[in-house]
Amino acid sequence: MENINEVLQLFLATENFIAIAVGVLVGVVVGSIPGLTATMAVALALPFTFSMEPVAAILLLVGIYKGGMYGGSITAILIRTPGSPASACTLLDGYPMAQQGKAKKALQMALYSSVIADFISNIALIFFAAYLAKIALNFGAPEFFWLICFSLTIIISLASGSMIKGLIAALLGILLSLVGLDSVFGSQRLTFGNYNLMDSISFIPLLIGLFAIPEIIEFYRKKIVPHIRAKASGAGVSLAEMKRSLTSIVRGSLIGVIIGAIPGTGATAAAFISYSDAKRRSPHSERFGKGEVEGVAASEAGNNGVAGATLIPLLSLGIPGDVITAIILGAFMVHGLTPGPILFQENLPLIYALFLGIMLSSVILLFVGSAAIRYFSLIADIPKSILFPIVLMFCVYGSYAVNNDTFDVWLMLAFGVMGYLFNRTGIPAAPFLIGFILGPMFEDNLRRSLLIGSNDLSIFVRGPITWFFIALTVGSILLALYRFISARHKAKQAANEPEANA
Amino acid sequence: MKKLINVLSTAAFGSAVALSLSVSTAHAQEWPTKEVRLVVPYAPGGTTDVLSRRVADLLKDELNANVVVENRPGAGSTVATGRLARGGRDADHTILMASPGHTIGAAIYPSLAYDPVEDFLFIQNMLDIPNVMVVPANSPYESAVEFIEAAQDNNMSFSSSGVGSSIHMSGELFKTLTGSNMTHVPFAGSGAALPALLGGDVDVSFENMPTVFSHIQSGDLRALAVTSEERSEFLPDVPTLKEIGEHNLDQLVTTAWFGLIAHNSFPEEAFATMQEALQQVMEREEFTNFVEQLGGEKGTIGGDEFKTFVADEVARWDAVAAEAGLRQE
Amino acid sequence: MTSSHSTGSPLIKDLWDVVAGVVLLGFSLLLLFYLIPNYIGQPPIVQNPMMSPRWLPTIVGWLLAVFSVLMVVQGMLVADDSEASERRFERGPWMRFALMALALVVYVGLFEMLGAIISGVLATLILFIAHPVRTLWVYLLAVAFPVSVSLLFTEVMNVPLPMLPF
Repeated sequence: MENINEVLQLFLATENFIAIAVGVLVGVVVGSIPGLTATMAVALALPFTFSMEPVAAILLLVGIYKGGMYGGSITAILIRTPGSPASACTLLDGYPMAQQGKAKKALQMALYSSVIADFISNIALIFFAAYLAKIALNFGAPEFFWLICFSLTIIISLASGSMIKGLIAALLGILLSLVGLDSVFGSQRLTFGNYNLMDSISFIPLLIGLFAIPEIIEFYRKKIVPHIRAKASGAGVSLAEMKRSLTSIVRGSLIGVIIGAIPGTGATAAAFISYSDAKRRSPHSERFGKGEVEGVAASEAGNNGVAGATLIPLLSLGIPGDVITAIILGAFMVHGLTPGPILFQENLPLIYALFLGIMLSSVILLFVGSAAIRYFSLIADIPKSILFPIVLMFCVYGSYAVNNDTFDVWLMLAFGVMGYLFNRTGIPAAPFLIGFILGPMFEDNLRRSLLIGSNDLSIFVRGPITWFFIALTVGSILLALYRFISARHKAKQAANEPEANA
Repeated sequence: MKKLINVLSTAAFGSAVALSLSVSTAHAQEWPTKEVRLVVPYAPGGTTDVLSRRVADLLKDELNANVVVENRPGAGSTVATGRLARGGRDADHTILMASPGHTIGAAIYPSLAYDPVEDFLFIQNMLDIPNVMVVPANSPYESAVEFIEAAQDNNMSFSSSGVGSSIHMSGELFKTLTGSNMTHVPFAGSGAALPALLGGDVDVSFENMPTVFSHIQSGDLRALAVTSEERSEFLPDVPTLKEIGEHNLDQLVTTAWFGLIAHNSFPEEAFATMQEALQQVMEREEFTNFVEQLGGEKGTIGGDEFKTFVADEVARWDAVAAEAGLRQE
Repeated sequence: MTSSHSTGSPLIKDLWDVVAGVVLLGFSLLLLFYLIPNYIGQPPIVQNPMMSPRWLPTIVGWLLAVFSVLMVVQGMLVADDSEASERRFERGPWMRFALMALALVVYVGLFEMLGAIISGVLATLILFIAHPVRTLWVYLLAVAFPVSVSLLFTEVMNVPLPMLPF
């Protein structure tokens, strides 16, 4: 009884509510601007939290994190520029939808699915933290290795059109991800002595260049088409669409929760895994990538499912799963708190107050997001001739902001030209991105496993988790082969039929 | 969108005005004449970053000027440090939070375009954090000596937050001094390394105190020794490697240090102002609490003493890097 | 329908694929025989070939070579029709394209020299002229946006953009 009082006392402070609201708002705005990431906003907000009460301080940062996770999807949908890496997957269907005049529908779906995923993720954090933290501890390098192998198989389902081109894209992505210092020996790989490349190729310039710039180049290469004043607002998400996407959203959220609970994989991978899973299960998978609302739902569910769950290893083990949670860990430290098992023993009321605040942040995200959609969807009304020069400017400034270096601006534009050539030759960008994200994880965990097991290969099959992911990997490849062959078969039959008729 | 931009730009102008006001009030004194940049040579999060933001926040009051933290990660800390070494027009208002990466980077990459000692002014060491030799709770080893004796016959693995981190180099130093068989298993940061240690995938680590302290308290990790000169007041029962002494361990004293440095051209007067301001910062209660939270101790050396310390560190890690075959051409 | 755009020799069904395949093949050979041996350092002792810094790049290089050959073959045998609509379009005047390229060059070449504001204004003006935008007040945006966004970046987000050349 005393505890509940204490929890409420800690939670029901005006400061907390302001912190959550401001946090979510700042997160959505900053997250939506290309190049300005939630990470930067959290880092900048950290000093402000020094003078705040611990609960409010953490809630402010968590609010920014959650807002940023959603905010990135806004510009991904509207201008094909992912505001944050995790929303790269959202643009695959979100941008085509905006082009078809369904911007509002895409934005709403992104919001609703984000909020639902966020909520599920919070529930997982509150009720299953201890259990999920155990999984995280049993997740060593060999388990990780197989998880990455399984994730790599999603390239197959992402490669729409030609499989060969999809695999080429993935290989190029892996190759570029290897540029930089070798993680075991510290030797330079393909850096050509350029110190800017030593810390590997920055992700954000790559992302902006790959998606936003080709669109701009193409616009100026194409014959002028008169701007159609689309009713940008358009229709919202219908109940039927929501119902249809709900299973994908829930499944995506759970994928996000698991990925989030395992430190070090990240929201971007979760979004792609969720997306490809939804695509594989969909009866009309051919519509994915061309403006399928379920695709937006699945990828946003995947990345927002991560947001609450990354707090699991942070709070229960003191392990930050990504840069943002590392900064939140710093905020705990500044307030004299150390996340981990001890925190649960000594400061339980504080943890519960935090949980209440985190739950509240999902609700606030819904309101802030709805308001944001109202204003942001006006972007779809701006003629491209005015919009694109401004987008380009954001791209340039944003790329510079990553490392405060002009080199990243060059890199961004170089990737822009590459993305344009990709479009011309029909090489898909999504598998490239997957290769770039997963390449280093694949190599690092392979080598780590060998180091831990002293070159004994049996470490790769050491337990149930490894077998589980081996089975998933093999199953995923077999399923793809089966689909490929049966599609071939059908095509042949279809080709034979008219002949037979004749 | 336009509305939003309007709101944001008014906010921007507002803070620009506020900024120019704060600069003009500070004009009475000579230095700083504009905002001071504190460069963090690592990504946000992590001890260096959080410490820098804490210091910047307190330094603001002491200097009566804005202090802006700027992250410039890359290749250990050498990208940011190399950039500082080149000077430039803001060099008189730029300081950098250096840490063991400063000296280790120079040892691993001898072809760096700068001299880690002569190209810089060493203002003040702010914080020292010991590394702790930790093993998983289910490990059979109860003391450092037991571990070494076992490691002379069997191969052991030690984790670190990455190649060239102070955690990695402490392990390499331990390996060469004691003649143990140890394989280095690098991870992407301390956060990623911790589960492998807690789960027993690696045998030992020489982690920074703040990363492992709560796990030692909860019994998930066992501390065999600390690497500092004297016992840590936070782990009073854990011996130092130096006092164990056997197997050349008396030579193993190393701490993770965090101190502010500037370019050689940093004005003399600014150097004096900074030293004074940092002394004030270090006496503040907020700073004291923060240092305690990290399980560290306030830095004591500045100026020439600090410089000599860094020079010694460079020489020491240079030898370790050569021995371990880590030197890159 | 499908053959309507396959210009040139009937032996090659999709010229773009063949060209891209050949370029990629060339790149993978360059990677395998020049870049990897010269630009990836190898430690003297490696216990397991998989531990070598060159292992994964080499595998990727060979796979890339194989798939680019397959791409050439595919380009010769299979006409692409599914993505035809996305990949082919009517070209606009070359002046428009050249001005866009110029705007990119302004950003790449002059960003550091002239600062964010001036290069931003310049590039945005060039792009407005390239389209061309005929509403005059829009040109004011070309000044207003770079100024306000630079201020947002530098003052609110603490990004030290190079503001002005002086």
